[in-house]
Amino acid sequence: MASIEQPRRRRPPPDPIAVLRGHRAAVNDTCFHPSLPLLFSGAADGELRAWDTASHRTVSSVWAHAGSAGVYSVAAGAGLGNKIISQGRDGTCKCWGIEEDGLSRKPLFTVKTSTYHFCKMSLVKSPSTDARSGSSCSTSDVEPPRVSIEQNTESRGANPTEAPQEHDQCTTSNGHNMLAIAGQESSQVELWDITNARKIITLPQACSADTTDHPTKRKGLCMAVQAFIPCESVGYVNILSSYEDGSTLWWDVRKPGLPLSSVKYHSESALSIAIDGFCNGGISGGADDKVVMFTLDHPKGTITLRKEIELERSGIAGTAIRPDNKIAATAGWDHRIRVYNYNKGNALAVLKYHSDSCNAVTFSSDSKLMASCSADTTVALWELYPPKPQSKVEITQTD
Amino acid sequence: MASTQSSSVPSRGGGGGDGEKRLEALALDKVAEAADAVASAACAGEVVRAVHAVASLLFPVDSATVAGTVEEPFRSQIIEAATLSNDERDSWRCAFYQGPAFPTMSKILLGNVAMKWLRKIHASARNEIYDSFFVKGPPVEVIQALIPALSEKEDSKEDHQTFFSNLERLLILCLLDNKGVFQIVAEFASSNKHGDGIVNPDKTIFISRVAQLLTSVPDKARLGASAALTSPSFFKDVISQLLAGAEAVTVEFAADKDANEHCALSSMFHFLGEVLSRVSRRGSIGILVAELIPRIRNHLHRCVPADYKAISPNMIEHVSQSQFWFNMVEAMRDQHSVERLTEELLRQLASNHISDGEAYWILWTLFNQSFKRLTVMRNADITAAIGLCLEKLTKKELETTKDVLNSILQGVSCRLESPIDLIRKMASAIALTFSKVVDPKNPLYLDENCCENVDWEFGILSPKEIKAPLQAVESRKKPKTCENKRNAGEKKEKAIKHDIPGVRAKIVEIKLDHDQRSDTATSEQFEEEFDRESMNTDASGDSSLEPYDLSDDDTDLQKKFSHLSDLAAALRKPDDSDGVDNALSSAEKFVRASPDELRHNSGDLVRALVHVRCSDVAMEGEEDSAEEKRQKALIALLVTCPFESLDVLTKLLYSSSVDVSQRILIIDAMTEAAQELAEAKIVKTEHHGNLITDTSPSWLVPSNRGPPGAGPWREVSEPGTLLSWSHRYEREVPSRSGQVKSGKSRKWGLGKAKDLQVGWSRNRFPLYAAAFMLPVMQGYDKRSHGVDLLNRDFVVLGKLIYMLGVCMKSMAMHPEASALAPALLDMIRSRDVSLHAEAYVRRSVLFAASCILVSLHPSYVASSLIEGNKDISTGLEWIRTWALQVAESDPDTECMSMAMTCLRLHSEMALQTSRALESADHSKAGRALPSKLDSIIIPFGNMM
Repeated sequence: MASIEQPRRRRPPPDPIAVLRGHRAAVNDTCFHPSLPLLFSGAADGELRAWDTASHRTVSSVWAHAGSAGVYSVAAGAGLGNKIISQGRDGTCKCWGIEEDGLSRKPLFTVKTSTYHFCKMSLVKSPSTDARSGSSCSTSDVEPPRVSIEQNTESRGANPTEAPQEHDQCTTSNGHNMLAIAGQESSQVELWDITNARKIITLPQACSADTTDHPTKRKGLCMAVQAFIPCESVGYVNILSSYEDGSTLWWDVRKPGLPLSSVKYHSESALSIAIDGFCNGGISGGADDKVVMFTLDHPKGTITLRKEIELERSGIAGTAIRPDNKIAATAGWDHRIRVYNYNKGNALAVLKYHSDSCNAVTFSSDSKLMASCSADTTVALWELYPPKPQSKVEITQTD
Repeated sequence: MASTQSSSVPSRGGGGGDGEKRLEALALDKVAEAADAVASAACAGEVVRAVHAVASLLFPVDSATVAGTVEEPFRSQIIEAATLSNDERDSWRCAFYQGPAFPTMSKILLGNVAMKWLRKIHASARNEIYDSFFVKGPPVEVIQALIPALSEKEDSKEDHQTFFSNLERLLILCLLDNKGVFQIVAEFASSNKHGDGIVNPDKTIFISRVAQLLTSVPDKARLGASAALTSPSFFKDVISQLLAGAEAVTVEFAADKDANEHCALSSMFHFLGEVLSRVSRRGSIGILVAELIPRIRNHLHRCVPADYKAISPNMIEHVSQSQFWFNMVEAMRDQHSVERLTEELLRQLASNHISDGEAYWILWTLFNQSFKRLTVMRNADITAAIGLCLEKLTKKELETTKDVLNSILQGVSCRLESPIDLIRKMASAIALTFSKVVDPKNPLYLDENCCENVDWEFGILSPKEIKAPLQAVESRKKPKTCENKRNAGEKKEKAIKHDIPGVRAKIVEIKLDHDQRSDTATSEQFEEEFDRESMNTDASGDSSLEPYDLSDDDTDLQKKFSHLSDLAAALRKPDDSDGVDNALSSAEKFVRASPDELRHNSGDLVRALVHVRCSDVAMEGEEDSAEEKRQKALIALLVTCPFESLDVLTKLLYSSSVDVSQRILIIDAMTEAAQELAEAKIVKTEHHGNLITDTSPSWLVPSNRGPPGAGPWREVSEPGTLLSWSHRYEREVPSRSGQVKSGKSRKWGLGKAKDLQVGWSRNRFPLYAAAFMLPVMQGYDKRSHGVDLLNRDFVVLGKLIYMLGVCMKSMAMHPEASALAPALLDMIRSRDVSLHAEAYVRRSVLFAASCILVSLHPSYVASSLIEGNKDISTGLEWIRTWALQVAESDPDTECMSMAMTCLRLHSEMALQTSRALESADHSKAGRALPSKLDSIIIPFGNMM
């Protein structure tokens, strides 16, 4: 669509407002602190750094995942509080506290997931975490999110050591102390309780895993997961998982045997998936030359294709949607960050700064900053389409 | 010239596989026999006999005629050859063309036979035994043998000429004179006649390939090729055969009921579509349309009796040929080509002043079917939506909203006039529904096929497709529909704002009839509403999201090579074609920069460059540039670090791991590198037929080219300087108009006039000459696995000798020339080389000999005579006698003229030598003239 628009000269794409240098290896992932002006980045040599987004300096650095393992993913969320989680390729996820002088020296606790795959973990996203107003999906009338595993007797059977009481304790509080990750058997997805370092559930359910029509085994490795709690599910965690063969599955923990829906938008391995603030849709990228925007139809439990964007050069390693749902960004193997209008799906910018394959892109919770990280060992900060301060007029319009 | 079986031949039915295989093997044996006979043939008769032996197995050859053209004993051998029955011949022919025998045979026929023997074979025999292989064979196989050969390269001008003129003659004969394209069409249709109903993908690819080959002929034909092969006339002929063929086949199939029509025609139409698209892509759509219009007009005239005023679709549909015309445009899958076709058609229809009525029917015939499939689909959607709406309306509602009544009546009447009967059916369905609303007891049946319950899918829509509009309309309920109808009137004006001139308007009118317009309006409103909804969910709209400049180039993505080892590694990854391409592009520049590590990596890089497969990595059509880059990189390597590179290259040259093309590449690169090292640019052989350009009256006097009015060259004598032996010439040159007269004369020497000293020392080649020449002169006559320079790979030998000649020339007048000349003389004197059967090799030898004559310093020749150096004196004498012999008796005219030049150079050299001897005599008074003097022939002494 963009090409039909006026041919008049457009502004050149912006440069990064700051480039954070200091890592000695490819930066695999980056995330913003939900409230403080901090950015965390993890590199392939195992170093986890915290940066001040105002002064653009390193605040602190720890060797999070030793040696060759490297930090594969980092995540922070409002639900976690003043903590961040790093995932290493050493089979562990570690939780770090944020102190005055940056990161805690030692991890607060370590979750041994024993997974050595290429899937970045995901914290549970829910519409309520999006503090901004304007959401069509008000969560006020919904009970606080919970995962009621006790209804799933099978899952308990799989983990006989767990006591039901503990379950209740850990799952009814909220969804934010859980993380989703591809499992030890990497065609499976696992949901973990972070604080108790316990596996809550495996998708698909273990008992059906040995049958011939295994829902995911033939789809190959799980390459990306995104956990979320939509308003419609009354607090039950849903998971979107993308597989090596390019397919995307939608799971509801209440039906752990089979996915709600399965679609295949990518012709090659789907590498990244992101969901919007209302949990009504998302964007996914893969090793092929496509970026796909989709919508989730909650009542029907189906995923429908909203927009397919053809790329010049294939390979999208990371995707993100800004918390205000206005723009989405992709990190490409072609060293480019591409920005799209999330609602219309048209391209907005092609950002060239990185000199090597980009690994991840993320937005700050106030939507003001975007960070991209790349195998060129740098993290770039960008200011794009700054959100307008919300005026009264706009709020009334919304209603 | 070993042949490989073309792998693109699709496998045919498995029945009787064993017998076929056996016969194929037998056929191949026969071909091998013929090939041996041809290779060892000493006269044309033998070749005729050998080829005849194969031909008589396959075709009804008139042996008597063939025998009449040759001498005994071949005549009787030909007549005695066994004659086969027609059935036997058929099965032989089948095996011959299906198996590997034909590709092999065609290589022999096009190569060796064509270049060496064909002109010695009598025309009648040629027709019988040579041309039949191509003319009587299945054209699909034949063009696969002929057309790829068009892009082969022959080295010498004459071979080139013979090879290609024969090839072009055969192409014209097969494709144009013999209606080969017509046959191909028939073959594709019949090959699938009783097939299993599926055109398999292999077959599709194969058909595309044949189409591609066919349309590539004009591109591949030489500049000087017959006019029949230039794109206008070739395409004209091809298209006319194609259309005629396809039309005939369609008619035939329409008559033949039991054939699997759909399937057979689909491959034919696929071929048709492929060829037409490719013709269009090659910019010859005009030719296509010019051919098309008269044909389709003829067709229309055939459909309609002359006295008829009005044409109706029925009249056209009833003629069987119409089926072809209906499907033709649809066969073109390439959207761009269809667009170009349409555009050109409209243009030519207008410029040919074809009446509107006729133009309409031409367009209708061509595009009607496509419309049915596309537009009709949408129309059906819309009709279904409106129909379902109408069913819900009551009479009262209908009357209260008058616009609906009007719109529907207009829409229905408009549709009833449509030439597409499905559209008419839709209109009558709407009319029926409408009439039921108005008066349920008196439904209006416009068409006897109408039934009580209308099938809104019209048999073309799948349930899924109809679902969407259905829901949409229902959700809107009645009042809204009426509102939409009202809006429709206003939006109508908007919808027809396309300004369509003349004929085109007619097509558009069919599309944009009333009901559809009203529905566009509906859908527009949908979108608007949807947009608003999405805006609602979005706090502040998207107006602030203005795109940045989205242009993107990949300059930063091209891998910059920072190490030579990376470069070599990239070249060794054939699966990463971009990387190889990139490495090839940057290789020359990189090497020329001559980094420190070059010396250590050059050998590796040379090996990688020689082994890289340009044709695999380069995009179609860019193979040449990739080859060029590779050669340039090799030259750069040879120039920047000669010893290391030569070490590898000379070993690779005779290694069995490289093929002929790589050997040629090595030699070409060495040739150019030698010239570059010497900075002596000699004229490229490709442009000049003559290997030696000799326009000058004497061997050292510069050419007479220059401004008009320049005086003759005069030698400048400079006794006493270091360079006294170099020849310098001067002449008067008139000043150019407007030039300030500052000097009178220009001087010309071996180097540049300005810096003679520098110019002399700049020739770096002599230093490396031995490394260039000596290794390659060893082992050229060895015959090992894959290496056979003296016989099969004579082209390589010719090139090699040429390269050695260039090397000699590049070190002319340097002492190294004198040191290396005896070795080269040794090589070219060997009987295998100097009396080689191929004129190409003899020419190279003549060139090398001439180069030796040019590059030996007279004083060296003189001193070697005085000192009694036998190598040089006998070698030079051999050159003279041999050149004399060639000039007198060589069958090749170019050889003869080159030998003459060589003789003249020899006499020039002898003259210079005798002068040198005189001066030597003068300086060393008292020393007697050597007795060897008689071995140098004083010019014009005994030449005549």
